[in-house]
This record gives sequence, structure tokens and C-alpha cells, in this order.
Amino acid sequence: MAPVSPRMGLAGVIRFAPKSNSSCFMIRKFNIAGVLILAVLGSPAMAQSFSAGLVTIGASGGQAGELGKVRVAGSKVRIDTLAPQGDFFVLDTIAKSAYLVRPGQHLFMDAMQSSLWTQLLVPVDPVDPCAQWQVMAKIAGAAQNGGEWRCTRLGEEMLVGLTAIKYRLVSPGGTESTGWIDPHLKFLIKFRADDGTGIDMVSTEEGPQAESLFAIPAHYSKFDPKQLIERIKQSDVWVEPPK
Amino acid sequence: MSPVTEKKWKRSTALCSSLLSISLSLFSTTSGIAASDAAAAFKTKSPIKHVIILIGENRGLDHTFGVYKPKGKGQTISNLLSKGIVNEDGTPGPNFKLTQQYSVAPQKLYYFGAPNSAKMPYNTTTNIMPQPNTNGAPSAQSATGAPFQNVTEASVEKDIEPGDVQLLTTGATGLPLGVLDTRIPGAGSLPPGPFVLQGPDISDDDYTGDTTHRFFQAAQQQDCNIQNATAANPSGCLNDLFPFVMATYSSSNKSEGNEMGFYNAEQEEASLLKTLADRFTLSDNFHQSFLGGTGANHFMFGTGDAAFWSDGNGNATPAPANQIANPNPVAGTVNQYTADNNFTACADVSQPGVKPIVDYLENLPYDAEPNCKENHYYMIDNTNPGYLSNGTVVPAVQGALPPSPVRTIGDALNEKNISWGYFGGAYNDAAILSNEAVASNPANPNLTAAAETDPAHAVGIAYCQICNPFQYATSIMGNATQRAAHIKDTSDLITDIQKNTLPAVSIGKPDGLLDGHPSTSKIDLFEAYVQNVIDALEAKPQLKADTAVFITWDEAGGYYDSGYIQPIDFFGDGPRIPLLVLSPYSTGSIVNHSYADHVSLLKFIERNWELKPLTDRSRDNLPNPTVKKSNLYVPTNSPALDDLWDLFDFSAEPNLQPYTE
Repeated sequence: MAPVSPRMGLAGVIRFAPKSNSSCFMIRKFNIAGVLILAVLGSPAMAQSFSAGLVTIGASGGQAGELGKVRVAGSKVRIDTLAPQGDFFVLDTIAKSAYLVRPGQHLFMDAMQSSLWTQLLVPVDPVDPCAQWQVMAKIAGAAQNGGEWRCTRLGEEMLVGLTAIKYRLVSPGGTESTGWIDPHLKFLIKFRADDGTGIDMVSTEEGPQAESLFAIPAHYSKFDPKQLIERIKQSDVWVEPPK
Repeated sequence: MSPVTEKKWKRSTALCSSLLSISLSLFSTTSGIAASDAAAAFKTKSPIKHVIILIGENRGLDHTFGVYKPKGKGQTISNLLSKGIVNEDGTPGPNFKLTQQYSVAPQKLYYFGAPNSAKMPYNTTTNIMPQPNTNGAPSAQSATGAPFQNVTEASVEKDIEPGDVQLLTTGATGLPLGVLDTRIPGAGSLPPGPFVLQGPDISDDDYTGDTTHRFFQAAQQQDCNIQNATAANPSGCLNDLFPFVMATYSSSNKSEGNEMGFYNAEQEEASLLKTLADRFTLSDNFHQSFLGGTGANHFMFGTGDAAFWSDGNGNATPAPANQIANPNPVAGTVNQYTADNNFTACADVSQPGVKPIVDYLENLPYDAEPNCKENHYYMIDNTNPGYLSNGTVVPAVQGALPPSPVRTIGDALNEKNISWGYFGGAYNDAAILSNEAVASNPANPNLTAAAETDPAHAVGIAYCQICNPFQYATSIMGNATQRAAHIKDTSDLITDIQKNTLPAVSIGKPDGLLDGHPSTSKIDLFEAYVQNVIDALEAKPQLKADTAVFITWDEAGGYYDSGYIQPIDFFGDGPRIPLLVLSPYSTGSIVNHSYADHVSLLKFIERNWELKPLTDRSRDNLPNPTVKKSNLYVPTNSPALDDLWDLFDFSAEPNLQPYTE
């Protein structure tokens, strides 16, 4: 049987769309029961379990390169980066945590503002994505000065066979952009900065994700930059502003 | 074999891209645009088509090569050992008295040369020389700062080879901060002169206490007094107030006697540097160009001039009052400066501290002008550049030097379309931190806060803004195209070598973990940085064949040096620093004695690529020295600076020997 993708329309009607071979989002193995349960519960912080590739888009609109891979299981997200290879982010919207893990150094650290994607690539309520992004912005320390994520719904838009909700976004720092949410996955699937650059989620594949993917090995140490900063401030590379 | 010698050889090269920069590339103003390498096609006056200038932090010539014997036939060097000041094992030699240090009775005003009658020799009983301490040096390993607890934690540093990362885990003092450094043999009762940083508990693999290295302090330490001039030392600089000034200029400074420490290159300290000196060419008369610290010396290196306060549009304006220096002593103190600040209007002799230096210059037996313009407040000590690493103009509230109009060597190279690059360690991370700091608070961007909130790029704090002379310049840093083309990271230097896209002129500056600065880095870490670069070159024989690598330092860091000093203008020169020249035309363990400073590097570039002096007031206008055979160190046509041409033998067959064995 050819795989098909579940679709939850914006009115909450579950529908099924045939997989498009040319789609970026289409390779999905779905669990109808799970979809129904989630649809009934309507949990805003729980997405489908899936994995997908992330590609960067250049200003001309063409694919500029690969960014990495995202895996989602409920409230947990793992984002693997291609450079440096092996590093990954682990996010948890329920635990309200965001870590960058460096297996090569047996280290992990608060992700903070290391990547914008730790704010945006999390399960969201499709009708109010900014609520969850704001939670992640606070975890990242990106909302310290009162800034907040603001979302203005622009409507629905068909994206290669599925209906996505299009939002105009303003980051806590005031940067404007545009995002598309897949209401079924409850996840950002397309993002564009105003200069045309952005990311697309591709090769989405639904299915359970191993719990171990989201775990940080117990023997890893946590890196805190404060001591490094204080050491550097003893040297000539750092100059305090005059008093 | 000691760990220090074991560490050096047979390293493999590994390169990593900057931390997660790709994940932020959409929101970064940095660019990965590579400079095109037209270097081989540029017309040059020598076979040299590329120069790479690697600049470490804060080591003097006697401090590094004070105990060194050149291997070249008939070669001589002027250092602590050759003068009999110390023995080959670093202990005091028969002429130790030549380096006698003094204290000075309180004076009413700042002095450049202390009155001889006010000087009292330090001794080991009644007037003990200030002793070395652990000022600023780390007590123990840390999970998050050097020295790290293990190699995996230390791997935050990417600009050295994997085999050298362990150097970032060693060298903690095991002592509290600011106490007598008992690792140094004899500490507590060291005689009033140089002492060796070598013993069962200390080597060049250990962090040591720092010293202050600022303009008025360094000027006072040199103790230049025309009354003490001789034929062999026409400037009369005695270099005999090093510990005294450190112990007295401030009520809070804790430098004490660290400046008299030196390493023993004949006994496996600074072993890579010694190996390079044994195989190539070393200058024993190369000087820091500016008295004092990092920022002013790098600026002089990049411009042949001093920076001044301006309105940001090229017009000189007075510096803020809280930034103007007053080194005159506070009443009732021995020598405590009234205001230890960063700017002086040296054309005005009524300004504090100016007249003693100008008077001295006027009395020299040669024509040395202060070279200070009216109503110009010159930067004499470290002040941040007017641009952040991402090109944002720093808001006035932060007290940075407003964007500078002073012409740089980069401008001159640009005018002839000659490729060049400044490669600063951790620059890419610093630019990301700058983006974040500006986004967070445009009115007052805070890089520390950005580093704390972005651990993945926190190492960007180790990028040295004040070391990059082009980061001050409106013409470079204020132009996004110029910035992207020329301001890069160490990893880009390695990549350019590997891809044969090395610019004609490359300037490499390690980050703060690797720069060799006392207390925050070590000599062997700077050696590891150098090793990484020359190993990359070694793998490219064709490129290596027409490349000259200059290895030097920004300043002596406050360390004592016994060499002759030629005052050139109000701003310098200062003590000797090492200069190593590696090329197929500079082999043989040669020691060159011609008087030179940082600006000599500009002169070499200008001669090789047929450029003119940068401006009508820049130091690259000075002639090459002429000397008497009886004294090769003292120019007879002062002020004069060598163009380093004679550190090469372009008439000889190129010798493509390996950099190291």
C-alpha cells in the first residue's frame, strides 16, 4: 500500500491526502490512532513523532544547503547539526529545557541563543504558535528586555499538497519574518526571513523515535561559559569600558 | 624527556568549522567569501609572493631568548647569556650587576628618566627587590576555563592540532592568586636582576603572574636620561626601574617583580621557537614600536602611526575627561599615578606627563620629533575600537575610540589590488556574539552578556578586538564589502593555505587562549598555534617556497630586556621582542642585528610590493639604519628603522628545508 499522509484541516476535520513524490514533506508513516487521540486532546505542546531533514534556502529561493535533521517525539525535539558534525540540540517543552550537546567533548551546555531554531523548532499550538516560541525564547534568554514573539495569522496556504497556516512573525528582538505551520504536525515547516533566506523541512517521516535520541549521557559535563569569560578578561584581548 | 619536549612533534592537523556558525548563518552579518588569490601574479621585488605575520602576546627578547646560543657559524647574539649577566643554567653570571634594578625616592612630578641622585639599588637585605607573584595566574584546573580539567573540555579550542590540546589542561599554579610565586627557585629572596622561570615546579608550560604594560609605566621603567648616555648607548636608557614602577604606580596593582623573569631556551624552554631560530633567522634588535600595551602596538603595526580621538568623521576632538592620563604622583605617595588613563595630548607640554618625554627627545643627539599634532589626543593604552566585530559602530556610551581615519596598510594594498587578510582567532564567534549583543540591546550592546547567553559561541570573547588595527578603521571595518573580504578567522587562514588561496599579505593573531600572554596563556600555547600554521604550509611545498613567515609579538609585556633602545618619537620605541623569519631565503641560524620595530614589517611589505609610505607622518618614512662596524645595534642615522630585507639572502639558492626536523 502506498503511504499516505494524514491531514488535519484547519477546521479540525481529519482528512487524508495522497503522498506526492515531489513533496518535501510527504514521506510519512502515520498512526491514525495517535492522530485521533492528539486531535481529541488538543495538547498544544505535543506534536506527532516524526523525523525530517532541514535545508537552508538562499535569497534566490533555491536550496542552499543542508542544515541538519530534526526528530520529534511528543514534547521532545532533537536537532542534529551538520557542522560541527555530531553536535545536537535537545529540547523539551514540558521540562522547559534546551541543551546543546557536544559528544566529541563529552559536554553539554544551555543552548541559550546559540541557534534561533531552538526557539522555533518545537511543537506548537497551530492557532497560537507564538505562545510556545515565547516560552522557548525565555529559556534562551532572548526575551530578557521585554521582547516577545508576535504572530499575525495571514491565512492558509497550500504547500505541496498540504494546507499550512501562514503567519507573519516578529521576534523578541524585533526581526520580522514569515512562518508556515503544519497543523497536523503542529510544527514549523517553512520559514523565510525578509531577505528571502530561510529553511524548509523536507523528507518528513512519521513514526516513533527512540527515547535514547533525546537523552544526554550521564557522564557528560555541563559547560558554563562564565569561567572562560573571566579567564579571558584577565588578558589583553579584553578591555573594559572606561569608568 | 620532559613533557615540554615530548609535546612538540609529529602532530596531525585537524580543522573544524566555527561552532555552529551554519545554524546562525541566516542571521549573521559575517560572510564566508574567500579572498581570491592573485598573489603569485603580483609583481614583487623579491621571490617572496606571500608573507604571513603571526603575532603573539607579551614576551620580550631576553625573556624568551635570553639564554640562547645561535647555531650558525660565526653568529652572535646580544642577550643575557652573551653579556655574562646570567650563566647557561640561568643563575646570575659574572656581569649580573649590569641589570641592577633600583628604587627611586618620591618626586613631585612624573619623570621619564629618574634623577640619578634619587635612585637606590635594590639588594637582598635592606631594600629588597619586589618579588614575583601569581598575579592573575590560574590556581587550579577548571571545567570551563583554561587550564581545563581534561582534553575533551579543552577541545573548545580549535586552532591547534589535536595532539597539542592537552597543553590547555596543564600549568595551574597550585597557589592562591597574588601571592609569592614559590614555584620559582629562590622566590622571596631573589637578587635585584633577572631570574630564570625554570625549576622542579615551573617551566614554560606553566601559567605565571602577569605584569602591567602601559605607556607611562613602560616609559618610566626604561629610565631614559640623557645624562647617562654613552657612545654605546646614546639614548641613555638604563632599563633599571622595572620592578620599582610596578610596585609603586598604583595602590591596587599587584604585578610586583614578575617582569624580571626569563626562560632558558638552551634547556628546552620555548623549544619550538628555539628550533626555528636554529634553522632560520632571528633578529636580536627588533623592538615593540609603542611603549606599553597591546592596542597601541598593533595599531602602530597596521598604520605606522598612533590613533587619536576624533568625531568619528576624521576630525580630531578632545578625548573625554575621564580618559585623559595624568601620571603625576598623588601627593604623599612614592609614585602612585593620579589618573592612569588612556589618552594624552602630547603636543601640549602642559599636559601631565608630556614635558619630561618631550624635553628628553629634544636633548637626544639626533633629531627625534614627538610627532604629536596639535589638539590631538592620542591613544596610548588599550581602548576598544569604534566598531564591533560585525561592523556595528560602538555607541559613544561605551567609550570606544570613534571610527578612525588613520590610513592602514590594508588601504595601501587595496589601492594596488593586492590581496590581504587579517585572521583573528575566534573572530567568527565574536561576530556572532556582536550580532546577538546588538539585537539584544542596540543602544548599549553587551558582549559579555551575549557570551553568557550563547555558550556555543562564548569563545568569541577570546577574539582580540584591540589587536586588529583594521577594526579601528572606517575604510575597512565600516565597509561591509571590505570587512567580508579581509577580516577573517584563524580557520580561514588554514583553509586558504590548504586551498592555495593565501593572500599576498596575511596577518595571523591567535585568540586569547593561545596568544602566549602570561597568566591567561603560555609560551607553549603560542608555539602550538604557530605549529598549526607552519604544518599547514609544510604540506604545500609550492606555496611554502615563496612564502615568508614572520613570527613576532606585540610587545614585551612589561618584561625586562637588556637591549639598546632608540627613542623615535613620543610613543616609542620600547624593549626588544623576538622576530623570527622563516623562508627558503632566511635559513642557517642567522642572527640579524639591524635596528627594527613593528613598522619594519610595513617597510618590508612596501618594498616587496612597491608601495609608498602610508602617510607623510608614518614611521615607514624613516630610513634604513647605517651603523659602525664597532656597534651594529645602534644606528648612526637615528631615527632609523630597517626594512628587514637583509634578513633574507635572495641571491642564494632557496633552501626548502622543513620548518622543523
